[in-house]
Amino acid sequence: MKKFKLNIIIAGALTLGLFSSCSDSFLNSVPKTQLVDENFYKTEADAEMALVGCYDGYQQTSSGFPIYLVAEVASDECFGGTGANDGRGYQMIDRLDKNQSTSDNNVFNDTWKSYYKGIFRCNNLLQKLPGIAKWNSSKDSVNNITEKRIEGETRFIRALMYFDLVRMFENIPLLTEPSTANIPQATPLETYKVIVADLKFAAANIPANAYPKAQAATNDGRVTRYAAEALLARVYLFYTGYYAKDDLGVTKPEILAGLEDVIASNEFDLLPDFKTLWRAASYRVDTLKGVKDIGGKDSVYLNKQFYAGKGNKEVVFAQKFNSTSDYAGNADGNGWIVMMGMRGCNFSPYGKGWGACTVNPQLVNAYPTGDKRRTASVIDLVGENIESIFNIADQKEYTGYTVKKYSPTALPVRNGDNSKQTSDTGGSKDFQQSQDQDYVQIRYADILLMAAELGSPNAVAYFNKVHTRAGLTAVASVSLSDIQTERRYEFAFEGIRYWDLLRSGLDNAANTIAASAQTVKSGGVADHITYDVTKIKATKGFMQIPNTQITLSGGVLIQNQGW
Amino acid sequence: MNENHVIQCVRRVAKNLFNKYVILAVTLCSFGLVSAQNSDGRISGKVISEKDGEPLIGVSILVKGSNVGSVTDFNGAFTLQAKIGETIAVSYIGYTTQTVKITGSTLIIKLSEDSQNLDEVVVVGYGVQKKKLVTGATVQVKGDELAKMNTTNPLQALQGKTPGVNISSTSGQPGSDMKVVIRGLGTTGNSGPLYIIDGVEGDITTLNASDIQSIDVLKDAASAAIYGSQAANGVILVTTKQGTKGNAKVSFDAYYGVQNVERKVSLLNAQEYKMIMDEQQVNSGLSPFNWASKGTLADTDWMGQMIKKDAKTQNYSLNITGGSETSTYSMSLSYNSQEGIIGGSNVSNYERYGARVNTEHKLYKDVLVVGQHLNFNYINTVGIAVGNQYGNTLRGAFDVSPLAPVYSNNNIYNSPYNDTSKSLWNTTDGNPYGSMMTNTQNLNSNQKLLADVYAELQPIKNLKIKSTLGINYYASNYHSLTPLYQFSVYSYNNDHETVNQNMGSGYTLTSTNTASYDLKINEDHAFNALIGAEAVKYRGVGMSGSNWNLVPQMDDFNHAYLDNTTGKAHLDTDGKTLIETRTVGGSASTDYSRSSYFGRLGYNYKEKYMLNATLRADGSSRFASGHQWGYFPSASAGWTISNESFMASTTGWLDQLKLRASWGQVGNQNIGDFKYAALISTSTAVSSSNPAAFYDFGNSGVNTAGAYQTTMANKNLKWETSEQTNIGFDASFLKNRLSLTGDFYIKTSKDWLVQSPLQATSGFDSWMVNGGNVKNTGIELALNWNDNIGDFKYNVGVNGAYNKNVVGEIPTSDGIIHGQTNMLYANSEEFYRAENGHALGYFWGYKTAGIFQNQADIAAWKAAKNGILQTDVQPGDVKYVDQNHDGVIDSKDKIDLGNGMPTVTYGFTLGFQYKNFDFSINGAGALGNKIVQSYGQTGGQSNYTTEILNRWTGDGTSNRIPRVTVNNINWQFSDLYVHAGDYLRISNISLGYDFAKLIHLKAISQCRVYGSVQNAFTFTKYNGMDPEIGYGVENWVSGVDLGYYPRPRTVLVGVNLKF
Repeated sequence: MKKFKLNIIIAGALTLGLFSSCSDSFLNSVPKTQLVDENFYKTEADAEMALVGCYDGYQQTSSGFPIYLVAEVASDECFGGTGANDGRGYQMIDRLDKNQSTSDNNVFNDTWKSYYKGIFRCNNLLQKLPGIAKWNSSKDSVNNITEKRIEGETRFIRALMYFDLVRMFENIPLLTEPSTANIPQATPLETYKVIVADLKFAAANIPANAYPKAQAATNDGRVTRYAAEALLARVYLFYTGYYAKDDLGVTKPEILAGLEDVIASNEFDLLPDFKTLWRAASYRVDTLKGVKDIGGKDSVYLNKQFYAGKGNKEVVFAQKFNSTSDYAGNADGNGWIVMMGMRGCNFSPYGKGWGACTVNPQLVNAYPTGDKRRTASVIDLVGENIESIFNIADQKEYTGYTVKKYSPTALPVRNGDNSKQTSDTGGSKDFQQSQDQDYVQIRYADILLMAAELGSPNAVAYFNKVHTRAGLTAVASVSLSDIQTERRYEFAFEGIRYWDLLRSGLDNAANTIAASAQTVKSGGVADHITYDVTKIKATKGFMQIPNTQITLSGGVLIQNQGW
Repeated sequence: MNENHVIQCVRRVAKNLFNKYVILAVTLCSFGLVSAQNSDGRISGKVISEKDGEPLIGVSILVKGSNVGSVTDFNGAFTLQAKIGETIAVSYIGYTTQTVKITGSTLIIKLSEDSQNLDEVVVVGYGVQKKKLVTGATVQVKGDELAKMNTTNPLQALQGKTPGVNISSTSGQPGSDMKVVIRGLGTTGNSGPLYIIDGVEGDITTLNASDIQSIDVLKDAASAAIYGSQAANGVILVTTKQGTKGNAKVSFDAYYGVQNVERKVSLLNAQEYKMIMDEQQVNSGLSPFNWASKGTLADTDWMGQMIKKDAKTQNYSLNITGGSETSTYSMSLSYNSQEGIIGGSNVSNYERYGARVNTEHKLYKDVLVVGQHLNFNYINTVGIAVGNQYGNTLRGAFDVSPLAPVYSNNNIYNSPYNDTSKSLWNTTDGNPYGSMMTNTQNLNSNQKLLADVYAELQPIKNLKIKSTLGINYYASNYHSLTPLYQFSVYSYNNDHETVNQNMGSGYTLTSTNTASYDLKINEDHAFNALIGAEAVKYRGVGMSGSNWNLVPQMDDFNHAYLDNTTGKAHLDTDGKTLIETRTVGGSASTDYSRSSYFGRLGYNYKEKYMLNATLRADGSSRFASGHQWGYFPSASAGWTISNESFMASTTGWLDQLKLRASWGQVGNQNIGDFKYAALISTSTAVSSSNPAAFYDFGNSGVNTAGAYQTTMANKNLKWETSEQTNIGFDASFLKNRLSLTGDFYIKTSKDWLVQSPLQATSGFDSWMVNGGNVKNTGIELALNWNDNIGDFKYNVGVNGAYNKNVVGEIPTSDGIIHGQTNMLYANSEEFYRAENGHALGYFWGYKTAGIFQNQADIAAWKAAKNGILQTDVQPGDVKYVDQNHDGVIDSKDKIDLGNGMPTVTYGFTLGFQYKNFDFSINGAGALGNKIVQSYGQTGGQSNYTTEILNRWTGDGTSNRIPRVTVNNINWQFSDLYVHAGDYLRISNISLGYDFAKLIHLKAISQCRVYGSVQNAFTFTKYNGMDPEIGYGVENWVSGVDLGYYPRPRTVLVGVNLKF
């Protein structure tokens, strides 16, 4: 009996002990290799890091069907191109004609998503910024320079992304704080007003000395007051040109003053030699003196010394890329430049790619004699003896010309082995991943030409600065038409022409594009490219809203006209 | 509860159960008593099995109305003090108890086996239960039955044996997962059941079938509810072989087999391919190809090249069981390997070494029982990619043109494989075989330990307190080599080799404590109660590294370890950018924890009326505070009608009839950790799902790390719940020769944990929400018959299940969970979705109405105001049906084209035994499952299957397959892609002969030699390689054939030895 009692006691104790071991704290767990938002957005360092996240968000917009390709393919500079057997999505954008590829309903889904992801990062930081308690220097109502600088940079990036979206799609949902709501499209004016307010804030609050050009080696790519003033001018010109209205709440003199401020800062200047702005135009294949390769041939290398480099004097603002991309979560590369390379083979210094944006011969032929910009901008396959080894049969809409300014680059043939010739992308040299060419959004030449267009008293001088650098003779007076032509040559293949066309009026844009009709070769066979003015006008020059997003909104989003 | 699972084991091996001390004692007793009692009425006798005449050891014999008894010895003999005319009861576990009147001084008693399992026990949550008292829907399969199927994965052996449990392979690659769906898909999340191995959550694929005692599947919610939050998709309980008292029993099983592809897909040969390519051109207004200018062209059968003939599979396992009165043991060693039928063992292989030890010890008489289970595995796998259209090694065999050769001397890396970079036909063709053999250089080794220690205390009779501590430990290591190669202009690696190595380990600790008490009042009212608590914690870490280039002397996969690499950080050719050749990463997985309390109360009255109720509370770290706890109740009842007195007249033919009804709720929390939180990435722990936010300011190439929110928070996230009502019956007839089980169920899964897509404006692709529901309604029937005609014994089993799956609600603004795009071919649109009123993962596309035969046909179509998708429609093009008659073909015209889950699954077993021969056939099949087939890029230079030879070439030539063109306008996703996948598979045919009785060696009790064919025949109209396709892009979709790694047909010979 005693033993029985003992058993009961043991059992009771065990039961109590075993059954009371679990408490709620047992269930509380925190991630070990990530943070959660409750313990972030607290300090200045957090804010700076989140700001870099916004820049990165903007960087991510270069994949999918990015605005650069939209502008080039849709303009009169380039055709769609790509592989002979590829789908006709690029042709659909080139002609602004849904019939080119009826099943393509989501060409822009990745683009659309990447922009709103970037905008979310900006909105999120802007919302969290007032709650950041720990600033390195004392924060008070007057002296919160760092906070305002961060806010200014963030709002610039947001404005930049909205400007891209509104130019591509016109009717877009507009949100200035994070939201999961199903948001209908805003009017273009509403969107432009947010863009203008953001850029004015950036111009007013980013200190002029925040990122001096002298330290471009470490700060190139940062948003400066000058970048904000320059972008504001571009926004103003596009809006007032395309919509023929001047109701943005910012005046033309204010815009011009901003540009004059950029010029007066003396931070920027034109480079003496136009071609040094571009890698493929300035790189050359040179012989290594006295060095022989296997087989006794002279050894060759890619001489890059004439390239002016990233962040040179002429760069007002650039979208930066790095060669560190991989398939494991690093996406820092230029997402579209691979589309620009010639298909199938490296032709050092030009690297291979997917053959998009074949150049319209009309543009090549339009350059005045002696204009140095022509050879710096265009690869001439015949003139440069590439055509004989280029596989025309694999190319759609082959014209004999392709883009040089933004061509990937490649190392020359080594050891006489053509196959081992590799891309010159840095990093892992994966031609699809590691492209690190920056996209220069705003060059100083654009500041000069915009200021001239806006009626600067120094208009002729500004114009001539650009004009004479190209090897042409100075002029005594300039008209708007002169400036438009100059812009066409100066900014060819920089993703600018299409918007310049649109802001000259939809009719003019449609007619100009239609006039660029051409007979080309697709798969080696003659292919007549024609444009239907009514189709271009039907879309008003804007792109197709991704069908997936319309579906996800349950019909709250409305598809653009003509699509 | 009267039982624990020891009893179940005792029952299983009762024939061999004996304690040498008892035997000794009885024997001594017998000797001692012989002389004393010989004269005054000593009875002697022998107990043998009716089935085979073998002596039964340890049978208890009791003189009725006295406490005089005895036990049989090794030879089945007994002696007993009794008189003629007295009655004795002869009882033995697993056999029907017999009452015998003593008619002489020597008796031969034949005991018959308790044939129809009525006293059989089945495993239920945290215990066992007599089968006849079960009130839920469960099904048990014996380990012997599984072992007979000779499959590498025990789940594969379960196919067709468990109605309502749909098991399909996701790939025929050795070691691939099986997709197990119990009673229909209830979620878009993880739909696999919970596996409990000897009481601890584990991985069933680590077990060799010969280690398994039994598998019990808990199908209804009432049976599963005691597993609460883990059980929404059903529970599979695995019991491994336990030790038994008696002399050591040794068994050895081995088989060796060769595997081959059962059926190949027929693709165009060079001549046919050229003809189709030309026709595509001409039909699209282009000139035919100038083949003479394309150089020397091959005629390669890529499919035949990829397939390895006579791929080996083998298995060896050694089992030893035995024990004393106080200790029992069971141990095994096994080796199993299977070579892939695609590419062979260098690129596709599975190999497993296993060891298992289970022991149990009784301490302090029977007051305390302690024991342990331990199962260790070492698994090596090599695999080709079997994922979507891009990550799918085999797909190349379908879409690369036959014009490219396999071998040539043009490869720049001294490789024998052809490189098409300079091909005059297609520089992008590549070399699927060369690529597979060159780029599949990886080895994955996994070590898995599943072990537990338990103690069960019985301080007073019928009160059992049990404590179990289990550990599920894994360690894995992996290394791979990406060599230099070039096979096409887009398939190359010219810059550097990469060596990867990674390792990880982790464990789940489970502590379970239960107390149970059985109570009988007046012999009629039986109660049992169980309460328990469980705590689970998981932790894990991983490390990985990679570097460039192996030293030339060790430049192969066998030396592909980081120590042998030479990569060093260096400046790029521009002299500025630093190139880092090494990567290193270390991760710590989140501590996951779960805490649970549960209880069960059972009652029965004379085993006629049964009631059961359970309740479980689960708390999980996967949810935010305030939403961590979920409660899961269940109730069930049973009525054994055949025990009623009014059924007395049926006893002649009806042995048992029981009605069952149950209701319960179970949960699912099978999502990742921190799905409720807004996670911030600081550009560390970078992966494709957690991308970095680097930005390269300046011109140095050095990235600045940024931070951003990677996931959308949802603090209200909670359990997914599944509610199920089940009504069923169990019946047996004609002296238990015929048994019939039937069930009807309605299962509603609601508040799914679903990754719901968001509008882009939110900044996220999707977030995790609760919402949506799906209803599964179904019927299951199983019929078994076994009998003998003299020496000829036979059994027939047939089972079938019908399930209907309908989505009730989807928690997104448009009420749809959209499928992914680009999944069938490049730029393909969404083709599957989840939507209200349809089955989960239904195929969504255009319906077609044949082919335009001529211009008049087109004109008539237009006149009827039907839309046409083709901009320049021609005879030979597809008629896409304009469902809404609005004159255009667009997404509004896409409809439900069926889905990949079968509506009916069925299986059968046929077994015959004649003297020493045995023969069995097993089959399984499915009806109503649809398959989407897409093997390449239609309209380009991809190859076609020979089906294209039946294309439209003129009026009346075909009304199904359109003319060929260089675009894919006739191959927009429509019912042309969708094929019926109904099939009947003869999964196993075996013929065996037991030589033991011929060779008459006492030591050997079984020496069965057998031959077997697995996956012998498949009857199906489907023209792909295998109609059983579990793959479906996402786990809530099945039946997507993108170039499917088929299951092999295996011919094998084997031996079962018992000593």
